[in-house]
Formats: sequence, C-alpha cells, structure tokens
Amino acid sequence: MKKITIANRNNITYEVKGNRPLLLELRALGLDLPYGCQYGGCITCAAKLIKGKVDQKSQVALNNRQINDGYVILCVAKAKSNCTFDIGVESHDKLYRNPFIDPLAPHELKSDIATDREIKDG
Amino acid sequence: MEGLCCGPGYASPSEAIRAPSEKLLYTIAIYTGTGIQKPDYLATVDVDPNSESYSKVIHRLEMPGIGDELHHMGWNACSSCHDDNSMSRKYLIVPGVRSNNIYIVDTATNPKAPNLYKIIEGSEIKSKTNLSGPHTVHCLGSEIIISFLGDAKGEAPGGYLNLNKDFEILGRWENSMGDIPFSYDFWYQPRHNVMVSSEWAAPNTFMPGFDLEEVGHLKYGRRLHIWDFKKKKPIQTMYLGEDGLIPLEVKFLHNPNSSHGFCGAALSANVIHFWKSENGNWEWEKIIDIDNEPHSDWPIPIPGVMSALLVSMDDKYLYINNWLHGDMRQYNITDPHNPVLTGQVWMGGLLGKAPIVNGVKVAGGPQMYQLSLDGKRMYVTTSLFSTWDNQFYPEIRTKGGVMLMIDCDVENGGMKINKDFIVNFGDEPNGPSRCHESRYPGGDCTSDIWL
Repeated sequence: MKKITIANRNNITYEVKGNRPLLLELRALGLDLPYGCQYGGCITCAAKLIKGKVDQKSQVALNNRQINDGYVILCVAKAKSNCTFDIGVESHDKLYRNPFIDPLAPHELKSDIATDREIKDG
Repeated sequence: MEGLCCGPGYASPSEAIRAPSEKLLYTIAIYTGTGIQKPDYLATVDVDPNSESYSKVIHRLEMPGIGDELHHMGWNACSSCHDDNSMSRKYLIVPGVRSNNIYIVDTATNPKAPNLYKIIEGSEIKSKTNLSGPHTVHCLGSEIIISFLGDAKGEAPGGYLNLNKDFEILGRWENSMGDIPFSYDFWYQPRHNVMVSSEWAAPNTFMPGFDLEEVGHLKYGRRLHIWDFKKKKPIQTMYLGEDGLIPLEVKFLHNPNSSHGFCGAALSANVIHFWKSENGNWEWEKIIDIDNEPHSDWPIPIPGVMSALLVSMDDKYLYINNWLHGDMRQYNITDPHNPVLTGQVWMGGLLGKAPIVNGVKVAGGPQMYQLSLDGKRMYVTTSLFSTWDNQFYPEIRTKGGVMLMIDCDVENGGMKINKDFIVNFGDEPNGPSRCHESRYPGGDCTSDIWL
C-alpha cells in the first residue's frame, strides 16, 4: 500500500494500492477530484506532485515543462511510492501559461516533438 | 415558432426571416476546468423583452456527471426535413467534448425547463466507432451527423458519427477520410452535393491548452476540405498555408443555390472565402485580414483569434469575432469577394478598449454568437474553451462568462451593444460558470440547411 497525502487539503492521507490510476483510487476513497477525458489526454485532472514517484507513461496532455514543474495526470498515473500532492485548480498556478508571452524552449515541448534533453524524474 | 407547413423549420430562408422573434434561448454553461466540482448545464435564458425575467437565467438543466465540457450543440431536425411531417424540432443534441457523452435534451415538452431525454455514453461511441472529441452537430433530413476530432485515444483525424432519428448509433457517416489530417467544423450545401470541413487539431493537442510551438510542428490545421456529400468522401483539399492557420468555423450562405461560403482562420485572423468555379473546381481567396495588435506586455503583437463566424439569414452580413482583441465586426457581403466593414463593437478583450460593459467587468472576449432569424439581435458569449480561457483570461475563473446582446442594423449596417441586456454567469448559484454556444427553439442562423 502507498500513502497519499493531499497537502492542500490539510494533509489528509489515503492508502492506495498503486495498481490503478490515482483518480479512480482516490475518488473511491471519497476524495472529490476534477476530471474530464479519463484517458490522459485533456489535463482537467492535473495535480502537482510535491514528493514521491508516479508512473504516468500513458499521459499525452503534458508538455515537458509541465512535467518538470511536477504535474501529474491523475486519471492515468499510478502511485509508485508514498506521494504528496496539491490537487484541484489551486495547484494549477504553473499549469496554464500565455503561450505568446512565455513560449516553450524546444526541449520543453510535448515528448513526441521535443528535442532530446533529460527531464527530471516525475 | 415553426413555419406553416408540416415539418420543422421553414420553406426558405426568406420565410425563416419572417418567423416570430425568439423568446427563449439555450446556452451551455461549464464548470469543467473552473475548480467548481459541479456538472456543466444547459441554461435557459429569457430573451422576451416583455417578460419580468428578461435577461435572466430561468432554468438550469444539470448533466448527470462532472467533467463533460459541453461546447457546441445542434437540433435533431431543421428545415432540411421541412416536408416531413413525422419530424419536429424537439431535441437538442449536446455533446461533451471531454467526456465523449452525448446528451439528448427534450426542449419541447416544457421549453422553459428542458429535460434530459437520453444519454449516449461516450464509452459506447468509442467502442462502436473509435471516435472521441465531439464537436459540430448537423441534421441531414431525418439523420444526424456529428464531427469528432479524434479517435478513441484522442489522436487525429477523427471522423463523423451517424445517428438515426431515434438517436441510435448507425456507425461512421463517412466512407473515407481520404488524407485529411484534422477535423473540426463542417457545413453542407445539398444542391451542390458538397460538404466543407475545417481543421482544428487532435484532442490530445488542443484539449490541454494551446502551445504556439505546436503550430510550427504542424499539430494544428491549415486546410479546408471539399467533400462529395453523397459519396461521403473528400475530393479536394484547399491548402491555405499561413493565410489559414487554424481554420475553424465554416458556413455556406443560407441560399441553397449558392456555392459561396466562408471560414474564419483563428490564428491568422483571416476570413477565407470559397466558391465553386465554372469548371466545377473549388477556389478560395482571403477576403478579410485582421492585423495583429501591439500590446505592452506581449513580445509579439496579439493575433485576433477569429474563433467563430456567422452569416445572417438574408446572406447580407458576415459577422466575425476577435476573441483576444475584444471586438465583434459586421461586414456587408453582398459582393462576397469584396466585404465592406459596416459595424464594430468592443467587449472585454486584451486591448483594454471595453473592460466594463453594462456595469459588468468582462472576463474573456467575444467568442460565440447566435443571431436572431430576422438578423436584428445577436447574443454573444465570452468563453472559448476551459483550458484556453485559463491561459489567456485567467480572471474568468472568478468572474465567469457573460452573455451580451448586440442590436444589428439590417437596413444600413451597424452594431450597437444593447444597454438593457446582460446575463452575468459570474453570479450563478453554484459559482462562476462560463457560457458558450446558444440556440433558439425556433431555429437560428447556424442550424438550418435547405435541401
């Protein structure tokens, strides 16, 4: 079992198995979370990982800058260790940016078009 | 509000123009992406100036779950089955772009308080047709076609879902997507056996938000496609290049004999005019080019982002918006090759021309609009898409969207924001929501097609 702490909900904790997406596991335990497509493509369920490790290989919504900023797509991400998250739109401070004022560098694009450059482990 | 004949709609555009004025309109309002954990809903707005609840939301039909992102919608029937007395314009078809669910809403039993009649589950659509990301809804006679922007995994080009009049899935409408890379909007003109479709992007590209770099990586569209409507396959591509970056809404003139149509290229902020030439090929030209505008906070001038476009029922005026600039424009298109600017109003936008309208600070800019059949009243909303709103107008989270009305002069041209009408979706009971597309019970200027 993995312990999931929600920092911006008074550090409430949940125990999850880590074999299913965090959105499903946490909602089943009573945590109200935003979501949309439920296949990792639409970003509505993004949360910010403060500590821990997840597997979100199947997400296709995040660019590399968002991943480096800690964002995790909960509808596909599985917990690989104990994790601490901020959830909801309060955690989206760096998720949305004006793309004209603050453009992405080539290595910060989505993984299918980014130039090679190592990104930090999520 | 329907015509005198047997089926829904009107015998002709000129008959539609003479229909009684709209008293109600429906607009979708979203909480998806706003931080408020409530379902999106269909709002009924009272637009009868003689009513006590004029300019107010009088009913909210909540969807059964959260996270749909309701966006566009369409009627189950229009003037294309005016001769079929077994049909009636009773149901609104309301897709959720993110959930893939399609809601069938009965607006006829109680027009002021519509009810949910049927749900087509997104999972069923994916498993039967491999489609996701629904957008434009049109009826063709007694059947319904809906454009989808992606396959079940959110990859382009998507395709078209075909429903029968009982809202059962018949399968894919098209026989071939040819080499079309992206889907978005479509419109058809049966007397020319033609459909035109445009290109946004794959759901996996546009749903998380907009990255300018992805335009350069060809993740966004820049073409229009001409279809053989009966054969249900594309036959000609018009490559618009830099003039047509992100070509979104497409509309033909309402006159069913005309082959002239228009598309708004959102990022290029150009209007593309297309028509069938005498040799049967389809041609295009750029007829309106909105200059990017400098802004002290921006390293490059701001593009207009022409996200929608509408033709009045008499085919005399073309309306466009510039969502980031904040203006709505009216052009006289009596000569479709040479449009003449006849009206302009400002609401919201990033240029600071009209931050407050009718006492409300407008978050967002003019985005979706619907015009009365007589062409005199245009209802405008301010939200584009939750993630894109969050990027360009982050204050819309707390302020919500608004609906404004523009009085349009159909004789001499001209536009003026009506002082007595504003619906502030920032004041909704569950918190600020964002309104998008609107429809009237009696048909409108973006739904009816004549066979």
